[in-house]
Amino acid sequence: MKQNGELLNGTEFDMEDDDPVVSESESDSDEDGDVKLSEPAKTAVYNKAGLLDKLGDICWPESVDWIHKLSLDIDQDNEVNVNDDLNRELAFYTQALEGARQAFTKFQSKEVDLPFLRPSDYYAEMVKSDTHMEKVKSRILAEKRKMEEAEERRKARDNKKLAKEIQVQKQKERAKQKKDDIESVKNWRKQRKQSGFAADDKDGDLSLAFEDGKAFHRSGKKRPGVAPGDRSGGKGGGKFKKGSDKKMKGRERKDSKYGFGGRKGMKKQNTAETTEDFRGYRQSNKKQKV
Amino acid sequence: MAKKRKHSETKVAENENKEETAPERPERTLFGFKTSPEDVKENDSTLFFRNKEKVLVTCSRRISFRYRHLMLNLVDLLPHCKKDNKVESKGSKGTDLNELVELRSCSSCFFFECRKGKDLYLWMAKCPNGPSVKFLVNAVHTMEELKLTGNHLKGSRPILTFSANFDKSPHWKLLKEMITQIFAIPKDHRKSKPYHDHVYVFSIADDHIWFRNYQISTDHTGTAQKLGRGDLENMTLIEVGPRFCLNPIKIFSGSFGGPTLYENPFYVSPNTIRSMEKRQKAGKYAKKVKAKTRKKMHELENPLEVDEFADMWKE
Repeated sequence: MKQNGELLNGTEFDMEDDDPVVSESESDSDEDGDVKLSEPAKTAVYNKAGLLDKLGDICWPESVDWIHKLSLDIDQDNEVNVNDDLNRELAFYTQALEGARQAFTKFQSKEVDLPFLRPSDYYAEMVKSDTHMEKVKSRILAEKRKMEEAEERRKARDNKKLAKEIQVQKQKERAKQKKDDIESVKNWRKQRKQSGFAADDKDGDLSLAFEDGKAFHRSGKKRPGVAPGDRSGGKGGGKFKKGSDKKMKGRERKDSKYGFGGRKGMKKQNTAETTEDFRGYRQSNKKQKV
Repeated sequence: MAKKRKHSETKVAENENKEETAPERPERTLFGFKTSPEDVKENDSTLFFRNKEKVLVTCSRRISFRYRHLMLNLVDLLPHCKKDNKVESKGSKGTDLNELVELRSCSSCFFFECRKGKDLYLWMAKCPNGPSVKFLVNAVHTMEELKLTGNHLKGSRPILTFSANFDKSPHWKLLKEMITQIFAIPKDHRKSKPYHDHVYVFSIADDHIWFRNYQISTDHTGTAQKLGRGDLENMTLIEVGPRFCLNPIKIFSGSFGGPTLYENPFYVSPNTIRSMEKRQKAGKYAKKVKAKTRKKMHELENPLEVDEFADMWKE
């Protein structure tokens, strides 16, 4: 018999269990395929009368209370496609929810006098053991933690990018500012030269060339002070620092030696700050000789 | 051991014969003791119906671990069941099972038959004369899977929900009745627990019966009997498991045998599927060889034109 059936996968998404102890829950999605014949076999038996007969034989009488059967029929709105996992499960879920709601309204209305909601202090044997529920909980927590970490990492990456951009901008601004200052000094000189070195009052053309009459203002940020005996220029102290700190790239090294006024070497050594500075001395618990 | 009553005496369907002979000893049926037709009418309002369903759950030998766990999960879900030893199922399994059911005085049976360690067939039968169904079980997920996080009381009576298409054809109606009788826990069973906190879903999709089991969780503000106002909306369902999908193969009129009442026209046995797949794969090499010879023939028949520039780069 030629069977040009569509391959129907009667199974669902992979469920993977990463706990080696509970070994029975591996994924089985692709083993149980199901092929459906596109034309039904002609020899299929369908004895409707017999079926209804048997149904009459076995079924419980009509007068039985609903409370014995507890069964409900729920209408399904649309055809569910079995291969679409999400929608199929959603359809089952809605069916169950609808059924539960109807059942609860029935319970309430009938005044059956039996409580049907479990009180919070009712402790009894559950269908899954406590140890199993512990495993479930730890798995859920682990997943949550993974997600949070991924979020944080992504945020940190984004922030870094942003910070980088801002830094670049600031640098550009600074360079521009410097250029502008130099330009303005040049212009001022030129102006003075043109006007023939007239006697310059303090209130003279000085104010024109500079923006807003701001005097040159060194920023309050100080380079960290260098200890007097420190030959390294302030960076890279001690033998046991981690790798990348020791390696200073060329520009950085030169900057620390010569940049912004250079090393302190020939300058004052005994100032208020330096007497209080104990950076070079390691803390030791041994008693010092007095 | 006490003398066993024959189940035929307790069949509800015998009611019709009451008028002809009034038996001396009142007959014990599901309705309690019946005395005579006149009394029946009087006691109609006080008739009590006792669900005395007992299910026997067994399996065949050489069943694999996953299906065994499914069986154990079902045993947990049905407190009115009796689990029995493995049944050697070659040959006369019908009569053996019937005898076993009689011996344990059960009224229905679940028999898990695992063939080749891969295919699971589930027999659901009402004994002694009831109909029986053979299903092929797919898509098994047991309760031990960590993704199914719900939990409920062991032995609490479930709420059964069926999708509306169970009433569309007689064979689905029969299956619905059988499922209701087997899965609904008897009301005052010794091992049943009082509250209702889980729901079963039996749904027909694509001619398969899909089973799901959900825990009902409400943070209910009311008491145990009354729901608070918004509680019906706040209800959520958490899946407990197990999950499986049943494909009906045949419905028999008797228990584990008898004339066939229904045969699923769309059913293809797993063996046939596997052999079809193998045949598809086996044809690969032969197809390749054929394609080669075809190409040669084609080239011979349509020779290429002589290319003017073929010798251009040859020195």
